[in-house]
Amino acid sequence: MPSLRQNNMKKKILPYLLLTPMILIMGVLVFYPVIATFSYSLKKWKLTAPNDIRVVGLRNYAAILKSDSFWYSFRNTLFILAVVVVLTTVLGFLVSVFLNIDVKWSGILLAVAILPWALPPYVNGILWKFVFSSGYGFMNKLCIGLGLVSRPVEWLSSRWSLLVVVSLVVTWRSIPFMALVCLAGRQSIPEGLYEAARIDGGNRRTIFRRITLPLMLPFLGIGITSTSVTAINVFDEIIALSGYSDLGKNLLVESYLTTFSFLDFGKGSAVTYLVMLFAGILGVFYLRNLNREVEY
Amino acid sequence: MKRKVISMLLIASMAAALAVGCGGKEESGDAAGGTAGDTAGEENQGNEEQGGGSITFMAPDWAIPTDDQLKAFTDETGIEVVVNEVGWDDIRDKLVTAAAGGQAVADVVEVDWSWVGEFYAADWLEPLEVSDEVKEDMPTLETFTKEGNVLAIPYANDYRLSYYNTKQYEDAGISSEPQTWDEVYQNCKTLKEKGVCDYPFALPLNAEEKTSTYLMWLAYTMNGVVFNDDGTLNKDSVLAALKYEENLIKDELVDPADKTSSGMDAYKRILSGSANFLTGPTSFVSKSTNEEDCSVIGEITPILVPGKDAKATVTMALPEALGVTKFSENKDEAKKFIEWYTSADMQEKLNETNTAIPTRNSVLKKLIDDGKIQNAGAMMEEAELIASPFPGGIPAYYSEMSNSIYNAINKMALGEMTADEAYAEMEAKVAELAAE
Repeated sequence: MPSLRQNNMKKKILPYLLLTPMILIMGVLVFYPVIATFSYSLKKWKLTAPNDIRVVGLRNYAAILKSDSFWYSFRNTLFILAVVVVLTTVLGFLVSVFLNIDVKWSGILLAVAILPWALPPYVNGILWKFVFSSGYGFMNKLCIGLGLVSRPVEWLSSRWSLLVVVSLVVTWRSIPFMALVCLAGRQSIPEGLYEAARIDGGNRRTIFRRITLPLMLPFLGIGITSTSVTAINVFDEIIALSGYSDLGKNLLVESYLTTFSFLDFGKGSAVTYLVMLFAGILGVFYLRNLNREVEY
Repeated sequence: MKRKVISMLLIASMAAALAVGCGGKEESGDAAGGTAGDTAGEENQGNEEQGGGSITFMAPDWAIPTDDQLKAFTDETGIEVVVNEVGWDDIRDKLVTAAAGGQAVADVVEVDWSWVGEFYAADWLEPLEVSDEVKEDMPTLETFTKEGNVLAIPYANDYRLSYYNTKQYEDAGISSEPQTWDEVYQNCKTLKEKGVCDYPFALPLNAEEKTSTYLMWLAYTMNGVVFNDDGTLNKDSVLAALKYEENLIKDELVDPADKTSSGMDAYKRILSGSANFLTGPTSFVSKSTNEEDCSVIGEITPILVPGKDAKATVTMALPEALGVTKFSENKDEAKKFIEWYTSADMQEKLNETNTAIPTRNSVLKKLIDDGKIQNAGAMMEEAELIASPFPGGIPAYYSEMSNSIYNAINKMALGEMTADEAYAEMEAKVAELAAE
C-alpha cells in the first residue's frame, strides 16, 4: 500500500510529467527558433559575405526602422489588417447567423461555407487574379457588361486598389473560420436566457445587445485574433496577385525578400522579429479586451 | 496491471519515436537535408556496396533526363542518380536554406546565370574542370566563370533573339525586317495606325526578373554597354533604353495587361498574334512551330536583334547550368554526372527529349543543319554574338539590384514615375550596392 506521502508526491509530479512532451515540442519548435532568430537579428550576417559575420547589437533594427521600404510595407500591412479584420468580423458574424438557422440542408450549407478556408492561399490568389485581371478578368467583363465602365479597369496596377483586392481575397478565405467560431459561440448560449429575456419584455435589439453580443465576445476575441494574425501574415495571395512588386508588399514580403532574395539573414531576422512583436502586441491587446468574464 | 502495461508501452513507443526523430545519420555519401537527402543517403549505402555510389540531382522538370538516359548513365558509370524534381523558383530557396546550415541540398544542382555571383561570394559551388576545347565551343560558359573558376556548366542555351510576325508586316505594307530599334518603333506605330495589331510590342513590365533583364539587353543591344567598370549603371545607355520603353507605353504600343501579367505571358502574345515584335528566349523558335503553343504558325520569323544604327553586334545570354554544391560528399561522382549531362551526345539527345537548346555551338549547328530545329532563322548567327554585359561577372548583389530595377520600371509603367525618376531610383540603389 503506498503511503499518503507517496500519493501526494505522485499527484504533484504527474502534471509536470504530462506537460513534459508538450514543453519539449514547444521548446524545440517554438522557443528555440524565437531565441535563435533574435540572436541572428543582432548580427551582421549576409550569406554572400561569409567571412564577415559579427555581432552588431541593435544596428539591424535601427537600419530597418530608418528605411522607407519598411514603413511603406508597414502601412500596407496596417491597411490589409484593418480591412480584413472589419470585413471578416462583420461578414463572418452574419454568415454564422444564417448557419445557425436549422434547415434541412444545414450540414451541406456549412460544408459549402467552409470551402474557401480549405483552399491553399496561393491557389486562392491565382483564382482571384483571374477575376481581377485587367485583360481577361471576370470583374472587368461584368463591369463593362453592366455599362459601369467603358474600358477595362487595371485593378492590380495601383497601390490602393491592389491592397483592396488583396484584402478582399484574404477576407474571403478568413470568413469561414470566423463564422464557425461565432456559430460555436452562438450555440453555447443557453436558450433559457433568451426565453427569460423575452418573458421580461426584451425586444430583438435589446436581446442582441445584452445577451448575444456580450456572451459572444470571448469567441469574437478568438476569431479576431486569428484573423489579425492571418492578415499580418499574408504572403501567398500578394505574390500570386502582384509578385514581388513594391506596390503591394507587406512586412512578410519585406522579410522574405531581405532574408531569402537578398540573403541578408541579420536584417531579415530583425524584420521577422518586428513582425512577431507586432502580432504579439495585437494578440495580447485583443485577448485582454475581449476575453472578459461575463456575468449573467 | 493492464493499465500500467499500456502506459509503459505508450511511453516506450513515444521514447522510441523521439529517439528516431532526433537521431542523426552518420553514413557517408550524402549531406543533404530534408526528405530528399535522407532518401539519397539510403540509396547511397546500397550503391556503395555495388561500388558505383549514388548522387542526388535537383533540377526543374525541363532538365530531368528520361529514365532510359539515366539508366544508360548508371550502366556506364555504376553511379545511381536520385532525381529530385523541384520547381525552378523553389530551388534557390532550398539551396540557400540548406547552405546556410552547412548542408548540401543535393549533390548536383540547377544554377541559373543570375545566381552565380552570390553563390560564388557565399562559396557554395565547387569549381569544375573544363577543357579549352569545351570552353571554345560553349560561349555561355563565360557567364558561369568567376576569377578563372568555372562554377557550373551550362546545359540550356537561352540567349536573346528577335521575332516578328511577317504576315502582319505584309498586311501593313512594311516590306523589310527591322534593322534598328528606331525602325521597330516606327513599324509598331504603323501596325497600330493601320489597325493590323493593337499592341504590337511584347514587353514585360510586371515587377519581376524578366523586366530587369529586358532593360539590360535592350540597353546592351542598343548601345553595347549596361554597366560601368565599377559596377554602376551606364547612364547614357540605360536611360536611353528606359525612355524607349516609356515611349512605347505612352504610345500604347504595349498591352496594358503586360504591366501586371507575368513576363512569360507578355512574351507569349506573339504566339497568338496579339503582338508583332518580341526580343525574347530562344525557346520561342520551337514554340513558334508547335501547334499547341502557337496559333500563327508560319508567320513568325526569328531575326537578329536590332541595334542602334544597324543590327546589334552583341546579344545577352541567360543560360541555365548544373553545378556541384560545396557541401556535397560525392563530388567526384557529381562531376562525372555533369560531364556526361553536358556532353555533345547528351545535348543532342536532350534537345530531342526535353527541347533543350544546346550550349555547344557545334551541336546547335548540327541540329540546325540536320533540320532538327525548325524555323531557326538567325538563331545560329545570333549564338555567335553572345557576350556578357557584366564587366566583372555577375555581381554578388544581383538579386537586390534586379529587384530595384524591376520595381522602378514597373512604377514607370504604372505612371507613378517618369523614365528619369525611375533611372534615378535604380541608379542610387545600384551605386549603393556596388560601393558596398
